[in-house]
Amino acid sequence: MSETKVIDARDTFCPGPLMELISHIKHVGVGDVIELLSTDQGSAADIPEWVKKVGHEIVGSEQIGNVWHIKVRKAK
Amino acid sequence: MRILVVGGGTAGTIVANNLSRRLTGEIRAGKVRITMLSASDRHMYQPGLLYVAFGQMTPDQLYRDQASLLEPTIEFHVDPVKQFLLDKKQVKTESGKTHEYDILVIATGSRMVPEETPGMTEGAEFFYTEASAVKMYKKLREFKGGRVMVAVGVPHKCPIAPVEVMFSLDDFFKARGIRDKVQLKYHYPIGRLHTIENVAKWAKPEFERIGVDTETLFNIKEIDAKNKIMKSEEGTEVEYDLLIVIPAHRGMEVIERDNLGSGGWIPTDRYSLKMNGHDDVYVVGDTTNLPVSKTGSAAHFQAEAICENIASIIKIGEPVRDYDGKVYCFIEAGHEKATYAMFNYLNPPDLKPPSKPMHWFKISYNHMYWTSVRGLL
Amino acid sequence: MTTQTPTASASPFNDNDLQRLVEFAQLVTSVQDAMSDDMVNRLASTMSEGISLLDRLTRNDGLTHLLREIDRPENQRFIICMSNAFTQASRELATAPPLGGGLGGLLKLISDPGVQEGLRLLAFVGARMSNSLREVHRHGL
Repeated sequence: MSETKVIDARDTFCPGPLMELISHIKHVGVGDVIELLSTDQGSAADIPEWVKKVGHEIVGSEQIGNVWHIKVRKAK
Repeated sequence: MRILVVGGGTAGTIVANNLSRRLTGEIRAGKVRITMLSASDRHMYQPGLLYVAFGQMTPDQLYRDQASLLEPTIEFHVDPVKQFLLDKKQVKTESGKTHEYDILVIATGSRMVPEETPGMTEGAEFFYTEASAVKMYKKLREFKGGRVMVAVGVPHKCPIAPVEVMFSLDDFFKARGIRDKVQLKYHYPIGRLHTIENVAKWAKPEFERIGVDTETLFNIKEIDAKNKIMKSEEGTEVEYDLLIVIPAHRGMEVIERDNLGSGGWIPTDRYSLKMNGHDDVYVVGDTTNLPVSKTGSAAHFQAEAICENIASIIKIGEPVRDYDGKVYCFIEAGHEKATYAMFNYLNPPDLKPPSKPMHWFKISYNHMYWTSVRGLL
Repeated sequence: MTTQTPTASASPFNDNDLQRLVEFAQLVTSVQDAMSDDMVNRLASTMSEGISLLDRLTRNDGLTHLLREIDRPENQRFIICMSNAFTQASRELATAPPLGGGLGGLLKLISDPGVQEGLRLLAFVGARMSNSLREVHRHGL
């Protein structure tokens, strides 16, 4: 049974959203989904690039108001 | 009112001292009691470890007796917590004692975990403990030339350390006259040179100027100590002659053991700094799961907000302020120059050009730290 | 330079001001060049310890009370008398022959009116002090 964990990385300059994702993805199981909340425009491009390179999976990305909701499934 | 502070690092010490100063009358009247539980009778100035690694400070200069830093009204025990019983408002310690509280402040901090990356302990140098910093200095002294690779684990304490290490390495090898025999390369986990965009923008031309090669989107997967190769999660490999890493960190074991937070980081409200779901538990410093830098200055500003609120709750029944996410980081930029980054939840840092007076301010702060943890500055 | 352009006269600085600024900047530069990290370290360490000491002193109730008492004219006179007494006593002690000891010697010493005055003073201070100590312990500061 996979779980979804929400990480609130809104309004943060250090460490930024991708750093938060990298550090939290270590502590979830394979198949689990992390939903990252971010107000940083750069992370909308940054995060998919990293996720693709490492071999995880983007399962959703939408902007609600000024907040990006990026869902990443841990694949390995 | 029993206030229990768990942890005698920067955050815990400032909280205990600041509260003791704010509640002098209440403590004297016997209405408030402050107790601190710590794992050590000594207090270490952790930023000094980077200086130890480069031979600019000796380890003994980093320590003070914890008791000498505490207000005399604080009851201090060297007796680390073994178990948190939040439902009973109690903690149990290693010595078998039980401490009850009305308000609990958790400031247990974080620790590096190089052993969690295969090959890191054998193959790399780091400086987040006294022993490892001294070992790194010895390796640097012995180094005659070759490829020096620097890589960064996530999350880590002191986000500016990776950048500072590069400037320190350049200075160190220049001073020894072997800079031309050394190749310096910097590897960073995300798509730019630093997580703070303005620091990344500033570091790019600075690294070019001092001749530092860079690779981004590089997360350390494993280290082959025998063949001196570092492999990344992203599938790349680099060979090295000397590898310096900022190891990934975790919160303290007891936090994970008692299921207070995964990775040892406790879920905390970013404004009130209360543990989620617990009105009588505050979390401060590295221990929080907040998207805030794990640095002494964040701990300091958080501690001030917490203390103002605890004191006002005792005095008028209401908290008076929120933590605004403030962080202030010195950045040593080599050649006896420094700058700083200050930011909060809403305002990004705006870097000033490095200067000598800022470097002096930084080295002065190495001493002023003791006034700061005493709750004075 | 004897003539000034119209732009220069609109400037908030005159040549003299600028000259002083330049001199000040030179002073700052020379201080920067003369200072070493080690000097900054020592200065900062002294300042930091000094501030901590000052903080302890200013928040010490006993010391602030003592300072308040010292401010009273009679106590200032007392301090002057006491320091004079110590000076004179140390001189007298240097020239006086050593005591022979024994009960006879003690009797001879306390039969001196000056010594008796001194003992009376000590007894007064002792009585007041024990009263004061009892009060502080019973009722607090």
